[in-house]
Amino acid sequence: MKEIWAIIRIDKVNQTKRALVAAGFPSLTARKCAGRGKGNVEYLIRPTAGAEQYEEASHPAEKGPKLMPKRIMMLVVPDALKDKAVQAIMSANQTGRPGDGKIFVMPVLDAIRIRTGETGDTAVDEHQQPQGTSL
Amino acid sequence: MVMIRAIVRPEKAMDVMTALLYAGFPAVTKTDVFGRGKQRGIKIGEIVYDELPKELLILVVPDKDKQLVVDTIMKAARTGAKGAYGDGKIFVTPVEEAYTISSGVKDTD
Repeated sequence: MKEIWAIIRIDKVNQTKRALVAAGFPSLTARKCAGRGKGNVEYLIRPTAGAEQYEEASHPAEKGPKLMPKRIMMLVVPDALKDKAVQAIMSANQTGRPGDGKIFVMPVLDAIRIRTGETGDTAVDEHQQPQGTSL
Repeated sequence: MVMIRAIVRPEKAMDVMTALLYAGFPAVTKTDVFGRGKQRGIKIGEIVYDELPKELLILVVPDKDKQLVVDTIMKAARTGAKGAYGDGKIFVTPVEEAYTISSGVKDTD
């Protein structure tokens, strides 16, 4: 299994969720975070959007790149489906401008579904699950 | 590549991030977390606080930079000369692949 972390723009969260459901990965965990990348971020829509939410964004002592609000999406997928998930996230988020985010792929030793006690790939195989509500 | 996760005191987070910037690692992700360590929280008077606020800093760096980043975080996050309980932890985990979304390129190291 692989764990995929995608650090993406906050306004792309819904598009990414829809793209992942369409590709067959409905389950994920997301959380808010703040981050900075290698260099300059283009402020295209609202120039002060970051500064309002995060005090550090306008921290006077900080000379370097500013912290921007982002969202981390974390999902665990079987080895064979790793590229499909990466492609789905990439196609939903790519605008070609700096600040689109990063995707990291990490190994996972084991996964256990708490409800049934299943382990390994069967615990993360979403295709065996009954269909839930569609987004 | 390796992912370095550092759990540090909230008041030290900006010091650590500035130190990392000057050491040449501008790219960091930060998020608020709560947790306890092996001291089982803090007891102040009668009250036990077992979930203490911390900041989680996440970086992904090439293998060769691992020790430099760990040393930089360690130096900046310590309280006092010898350190104190509650200064935090650093975890290092392997990362197999990394992609930059804006260019679609798979990063090599």
